[in-house]
Amino acid sequence: MNSVLLINGLLGGIVFGMVYALIGASLNVLCGVLRIINFAHGEFIIAGGFFAYVMLTFLGLNPLYTLPVAAAAFFVAGYGLYYLLIPRLARSDEPETSSFLLMFGVSLMLVSSMIWIFEADVRPVNFSFDPINLVLFTVEDAYGPGRDGRVIVPTARLVALAINAAIIIAMTWFLYRTLPGKAMRAAIMNREAVQIVGIDIHRLSAWAFGLAAALAGVTGVVMTLVVPSIDPNGGADFTLIGFIVIVLGGLGHPVGALAAGVLFGLVEQMSNVLLPQAAAQMLGFMILVAVIFFKPAGLFGLERSR
Amino acid sequence: MSAALLAVDGLVKRFGGLVAVRDVSFTVNRGNIVGLIGINGAGKTTLMNCVNGIYRTDSGRVTFDGHDITRRTPHEIAAHGVGRTFQVPRTFHRLSLIDNLMIPVLGSDLSDAELTEQAEACLARVNLYDLRGNNGEELSGGQQKLLELARVMMFDPRLILLDEPFAGVNPSLCRIMIHEIEAMRAAGTTFLLVSHDLTSIYRLSNHLLVLNQGEIIAEGGVADVRDNPDVIEAYLGN
Amino acid sequence: MARPRLGGPDAVRRLIWYGLVGLILVWCAAVPPAGGNLSLYFSLMMWVTLATGLNFIAGFAGYMPFGYVAFYGIGTYTTGIAVKVLGLSVYAAVPIAGGVGVLLALLFAPTLRLSGIYFAIVSLSLAIICQRLVSLLPEEITGGSLGINLGVITIREHGYYTMLLVLVLALLTASWLARSRLGKALKAIRDDPEAAEAMGVNVPRSRLFAWLLSALFAALTGGVQAWFTGALDPQTAFDVLITAKTVIYAMAGGLGTVLGPLIGTVVLVWVDELIWRSFPVLNNFLLGLIIAALILFVPRGIVGSLMQRYPRVRRYIM
Repeated sequence: MNSVLLINGLLGGIVFGMVYALIGASLNVLCGVLRIINFAHGEFIIAGGFFAYVMLTFLGLNPLYTLPVAAAAFFVAGYGLYYLLIPRLARSDEPETSSFLLMFGVSLMLVSSMIWIFEADVRPVNFSFDPINLVLFTVEDAYGPGRDGRVIVPTARLVALAINAAIIIAMTWFLYRTLPGKAMRAAIMNREAVQIVGIDIHRLSAWAFGLAAALAGVTGVVMTLVVPSIDPNGGADFTLIGFIVIVLGGLGHPVGALAAGVLFGLVEQMSNVLLPQAAAQMLGFMILVAVIFFKPAGLFGLERSR
Repeated sequence: MSAALLAVDGLVKRFGGLVAVRDVSFTVNRGNIVGLIGINGAGKTTLMNCVNGIYRTDSGRVTFDGHDITRRTPHEIAAHGVGRTFQVPRTFHRLSLIDNLMIPVLGSDLSDAELTEQAEACLARVNLYDLRGNNGEELSGGQQKLLELARVMMFDPRLILLDEPFAGVNPSLCRIMIHEIEAMRAAGTTFLLVSHDLTSIYRLSNHLLVLNQGEIIAEGGVADVRDNPDVIEAYLGN
Repeated sequence: MARPRLGGPDAVRRLIWYGLVGLILVWCAAVPPAGGNLSLYFSLMMWVTLATGLNFIAGFAGYMPFGYVAFYGIGTYTTGIAVKVLGLSVYAAVPIAGGVGVLLALLFAPTLRLSGIYFAIVSLSLAIICQRLVSLLPEEITGGSLGINLGVITIREHGYYTMLLVLVLALLTASWLARSRLGKALKAIRDDPEAAEAMGVNVPRSRLFAWLLSALFAALTGGVQAWFTGALDPQTAFDVLITAKTVIYAMAGGLGTVLGPLIGTVVLVWVDELIWRSFPVLNNFLLGLIIAALILFVPRGIVGSLMQRYPRVRRYIM
């Protein structure tokens, strides 16, 4: 095994891992505050990708400039969607599982709307930075004497990594250092108690929904930098990855999801490099199964008392 | 046969760093109603949850009628003859009242018809007979408390843990409950009773335990406990 | 105090239900000789069986298995492999499919310790793992991502009648369960597992039983479906949409009632047909809309809402 491949795997793992971390963290904000698993999260992400695509194709806007617009637009959409859908759910017998189904319905609607608008093809997002690739460093004699190996990363991925890191830092700062963020964490711990101390749980929940939607939209935009194409049917894969990450990290535990996302990305990308393809595809799932059966509260979750 | 039906010895329950029940020992004698009082957060419900197995105790022993029931699952403990009600009523909201009463006797050898008859009789005792075909969710809060009492009667347990049976129940329903509890005691059932309603608990109990910050600070007859300065201090503060 | 016996209404309920099952049996059995649309009725019977099977664990015990399709998928593959690779008769393969489904359910049984939404996503993840695993197995066994082509095994009617048999078994199991003590225990677990346990219900054992029953019927259905259609592949055999439709059908009728999954499926399959015919492009959009509307406005489904609003209805239907 040569070190160039290994380092490439490691870098890819961090780039994808950060995306997964963001997906998991935003799912977990929702899950924690609202006890809702957003089955349509992947479709929100794809919609974010299409947002960037439309901005680029028709307005010639660089995805980096699209980012704040997407965040604002998705926040408003999520905020509105909350009031449209969620308060009614409280009347059902099992709000948790009902929300899961409800969001599944929403995801079906979103997928078919996107297919209707953009057709069922994979759309390329033709955007690149100059230079296209960066040579990070050179490993001497990597492929035998005199044949040096170079560690090359697409510039767009590095930019994506930087943006992701900034968003994650901002989100963590928001959750731990600002009043609304602290209120959200309090709501994650005890939804009933925060209402008693005078917090409007509906407004807070709508904020959480908006925040999660905004993060999903932004993830979609960033994703166009990592993989420059969008598939209207690709949402389910993101949703699944999100589920895996939150199960690994512990349900309703945003910071656990960050760690789990990076871990999952690293495992996935490293095993692509190190293992045969079939085994690599299964490894991530094997870890998931092991966690489900041996540490059901997640790697970073707290065990609930019996 | 020893006099003690339930014996709790050195029971400890922690939640993380918080010790909710700290080395508690007491006994409940056959045919008695033992009242457990204490301010909010004293550990009363936690103690009950430890006795009937909803919580796993960290150390100590719970013995019921000579059997060690420590760390048994709730349904095994129920099978030994320990029934309970809950602070916030936990009826089965989408089962009819009759079916609510059938749950504790699902393992019985009697036929469904016989059990239904018993269930109807229990519902009649708590004035819920006319609602027998309704679902649990269609009852008021106070009626749900009565339904829980009927459910535990059906069970015919030797020991009943009653957690705040009178909370949120209007005085006339309360009288029905007190009457039924006394009738069951007269028939030989033993009770461990948690309540904030000191009037009822003083009236019903033969023996009182006072729990404060997870420890028993006083026990004895009603008269002894009522005038105990430690108890007054725990309740009223200093 | 006068006490009218409760035996009366139960007898009425049973009469209505068994009459209905008899009617379904006769009607569906008459379809092939009358030259009716075999595929349509087959899929109707299949969905009713799946929805009824799901109801055991989801409606009675309150666990929403979003990976329910795993058992259906494993059933189709068991039939496929048993017939194609092992050369068994399809009549032996279908019961084996049921057995393999039950084994898989036993393997997944520890997940029943989880609850609510967590159980739902773990179950979904396990189903997707099954799908990936099947497509990664050696091609000579599962046919890889292309699947297995069985071709025509028997005359189609045999597969059709086997489905009818499985359907009637599922319906009878449902009414038996609803009236049994186990069924009451399961509903108590659904409403409040902790209180049920404190009342002496053996929660792990009861819910395991419901889980195995649910898995059995899904696997049998999958097994017959592979036989009837003669082809299977990992994408369609483990499609999440199968779970979703099953859940929606059962829920539309009313989870936890015996009649609900039957009514819900018949109504929605009919609506689905209408949508397909009238708005082929928007098919999934409308399906999503119906799901969302059902959950928001009729959370207990058609039968469940009727029973809730008109208590008298409870005397006539299970």
